[in-house]
Amino acid sequence: MRIIYLFVVVLFTANISLAQDAAEILANMDKVLFSPKDKSGIATITLIDKTGTEKVREAEFFQKGPHKKLYRYTKPESQAGIATLTLPDNVVWLSLPAFENPKRISLLSKSQAFNNTDFSYEDMATTPYSERFTPELTSTGANDYVLLLTPISGKSKYTKIILRLHKQNGHPISMLYYNEQNRLFKEASYTYEKIGKYWNAKEVVMKNIEKDHSTVIQLSDIKFDQGLSDDLFMVENLKK
Amino acid sequence: MKRFSAFVIRSKWFIIFLVLAISTFLAIQIPKVTINSDVISSLPADDVDAVLLKKIGDKFGGNRMGMVILDAENIFTKDVIQHIKQITDSLSQTEGISSVSSLTNAMDITESEFGMDIGQLIDEYDLPDSPEELALLKERALTNEMYAGSLVSEDGTAAAVIFTLYDDADIQEIAQTVKAKTESLNLPENIYYAGSPMLITSIARLISADLTLLFPIALLVIALVLFISFHTWRGVVLPLLVCILAIVWVIGLMGLFGYQMSMVSNNIPIVLLAVGSAYAIHVIHRIEQVKQTDRKQAIIVALSGVAIPVILTAVTTMAGFLSFIFGSYLKMIRDFGLFTAMGTLFAVLLSLVFVPAVLSFFSPQNKSKTKAFQKTSVLYKHFLLPLQKFIYSHPKQIVWIWIGLAAVAVIGITMIERNVDIRNYFKKDNPTRVAEDIMTEKFGGTKPIFVLFKGNVQSPEVLQTMARMEEYMKAHPGIGTTQSVAGLVSKINGAFGEGPIIPDDQTMIEQLWFLLDGNENMKKLVSDDLDEALIISKFIFSENNEKKDFANYMQKFIDENSTETCEIQITGMPYIDVTMDRSLISSQIGSLVIAVVFVIFIVGLLLRSMLSGLYAAVPIVASITMLFGFMGFTGIPLNIGTVLVASVAVGIGIDYSIHVISHFKDGIRKGETVAEALHETISISGKAIVINLFSVSAGFLVLLFSEMVPLEYFGLLIALSMLASGMGALTLLPSILILSNKKR
Repeated sequence: MRIIYLFVVVLFTANISLAQDAAEILANMDKVLFSPKDKSGIATITLIDKTGTEKVREAEFFQKGPHKKLYRYTKPESQAGIATLTLPDNVVWLSLPAFENPKRISLLSKSQAFNNTDFSYEDMATTPYSERFTPELTSTGANDYVLLLTPISGKSKYTKIILRLHKQNGHPISMLYYNEQNRLFKEASYTYEKIGKYWNAKEVVMKNIEKDHSTVIQLSDIKFDQGLSDDLFMVENLKK
Repeated sequence: MKRFSAFVIRSKWFIIFLVLAISTFLAIQIPKVTINSDVISSLPADDVDAVLLKKIGDKFGGNRMGMVILDAENIFTKDVIQHIKQITDSLSQTEGISSVSSLTNAMDITESEFGMDIGQLIDEYDLPDSPEELALLKERALTNEMYAGSLVSEDGTAAAVIFTLYDDADIQEIAQTVKAKTESLNLPENIYYAGSPMLITSIARLISADLTLLFPIALLVIALVLFISFHTWRGVVLPLLVCILAIVWVIGLMGLFGYQMSMVSNNIPIVLLAVGSAYAIHVIHRIEQVKQTDRKQAIIVALSGVAIPVILTAVTTMAGFLSFIFGSYLKMIRDFGLFTAMGTLFAVLLSLVFVPAVLSFFSPQNKSKTKAFQKTSVLYKHFLLPLQKFIYSHPKQIVWIWIGLAAVAVIGITMIERNVDIRNYFKKDNPTRVAEDIMTEKFGGTKPIFVLFKGNVQSPEVLQTMARMEEYMKAHPGIGTTQSVAGLVSKINGAFGEGPIIPDDQTMIEQLWFLLDGNENMKKLVSDDLDEALIISKFIFSENNEKKDFANYMQKFIDENSTETCEIQITGMPYIDVTMDRSLISSQIGSLVIAVVFVIFIVGLLLRSMLSGLYAAVPIVASITMLFGFMGFTGIPLNIGTVLVASVAVGIGIDYSIHVISHFKDGIRKGETVAEALHETISISGKAIVINLFSVSAGFLVLLFSEMVPLEYFGLLIALSMLASGMGALTLLPSILILSNKKR
């Protein structure tokens, strides 16, 4: 009887410990992703369709903390000067140079594609993963952890995400996205590099398996902790 | 001919082995035959409207668009919205479907106090459930032409979930999956399936059902008629075996050479069953009639006598079928002509080679039984004999009766309608027909119209012309709503405070485009290279004249506005319908003229007198006149099924004339008087004609059980025209022959 009791206690505490581990691992990843005070650089977005045709966009971006993001497009030429400003609580402002005033946009659907890419607005959210998903550690490898992420909110296109992340460095390596039919329909792979004391996603490839369409985001010219001014993230300054 | 007959007997084992080998090889090819029920693919490769429609379908996915319709008293209830979402989600997760649009995932752009809301009409994760929310949704949905008439009916009683298939998707497989998935949800609303993928799948299913159901029935019916006529199993089994082998060969060849079964070629087996048995019957009958004790010798004698007439009647029948190859616009009708002619050729070959080879193994029939049957024939005593007497005494009156009937029929001909609307191919209670009717009633039709604009799609010129054209289209009573990128651009422009118009500045348009990129709807409206864009609409009316009027109305705008930098082209199902309608007339006239001329020529050669050829054509022309008159009076329209009737009737019906003329001439040549020749002709050839008439008509009347309306009509009309040409050959033709041989 004692043995059974002991076994149950060990199993129970082991489960709690595993859950804690999973939560800690995910929180640690958030820390890696959101630890710089600010960040700027050039984002090159390449869309590749199933015939291999590529379309390239480029934007300079500025980020302060997890919730303030400014993207100013430089390519294609027709969209040069267009700027989007994301502020806390998912408030998005859009500035079109040919129009007088920036407009506030309420994005009612998070599952919609972000600007014709394979990322949805949900994928681009600035809210930490640990606040959006319940993690479960499914395996531990020599260099990686595998977490099963289940969305906390019912407002997700995903039923689960299988996240593989680097054991030592804490950054993601890949994410597999599953739909309502529990079918894998998107996969993301990450290439990280260390710049100073931070890990930076040098390249992210998001592939929509169903549509055979990919988006590659490459970040270059990255600078961290430059002390970006709050003024940069003001609506009034969007048109500058 | 004797040498040929002797060869057949000598090589009987080889012939039987060869026939079995060919049949086995071709039977193996049959499973390769696929069904193609798409009418558009049957239009010629150079048909302007079809080419453009195919191009648009390929580029924008419009040809592969299907709809699941929910019919309820009120769409704007919590439950119905939930059910729309269930279907939308279920279809979105279906392999082969590229996009799904419905009220629950429709993009919405609305101006708000401080800017604009871009997102979905309904928050799919927080569906409206309070009466206020539902009322607001109803107002927004029914006042926005992006949804009203497209995703929801204007009266709010039906909603559509529209799905588009990938280019390489298996249409029929996905259509079945869509149906299965939707049915598995067990929703309380009435559910209907419409649009091209569902229609094509439904037709393919009907084709397959027709083939599996009607063929065995036709086989049984013809077997019964043959047994009643000949009272011998040999006279039933061998003709049917010949038909079955000919059908196996034809369908096998279709599979071997990659031809597809269409809604026209679908009835090749039944046509061959009805037509092909006659040759074997003649051969068997003649062999059994020869009074020779030596079986082989009897076959050689019989075959030498019967081969030429059998070949010639087959050639005339083939002429009827072959006329479609030269006279038809639609590939499916040309294929039908080609393969039915080939089937007829196989049937005659098998009758002349395989049947004698098989018969050489059997002892002669009990002739006393056959003779006894002939003497007591009810047909002879009660029909043929009185008929012959009447014809001989009243030839002029008969000719006048026929002239009178023809005159009445001519009035009917002026009333013939044409119908190419695919909806009418289905019976009224067929679920596909009901779905199409609901789409017409509640969503302004299912006949898509595509206006293609070529030029820089982001230029003010192209977009402003599109916007003007949409207004112009909506002013036509045949158009309910339109969809285009111009509508989206002006809406966003309005949200940016510039008014709901297309800006004059291209830079502004290019920047507004930023908000449209990535939207699912854009793939249906604009090409990836931004050099082509579409206005999509639906045409309400089904009348052909309305379609023609609309085409003229649109052409006026195109002529005035199409430029080098903004080229406008228009196509769509109404345009295809107009082309098909025109082709029906030209096909009908073309194939009929070819068939009649061909037949006159062949019969003229056969009887060595062009005048005889013309005489032979008289009952045929009269029966065709009756046929068209009947169609006019009864409202049976000319469609892709009934357009076949006249030429097929010429091909089959001419045999009756050939038998009557040759028999009559033979009698005269032998020195018989006109009365004697007439008696011989009517009592011997007349009997064969009546039996053939019944067996062929019975076979074709089986088509009355077809699920497809054109085939139903086809069966009925062929049977009627057989009756008319049979009666023409037995009354009108002998009367003309009597009058032309008056001196005797």
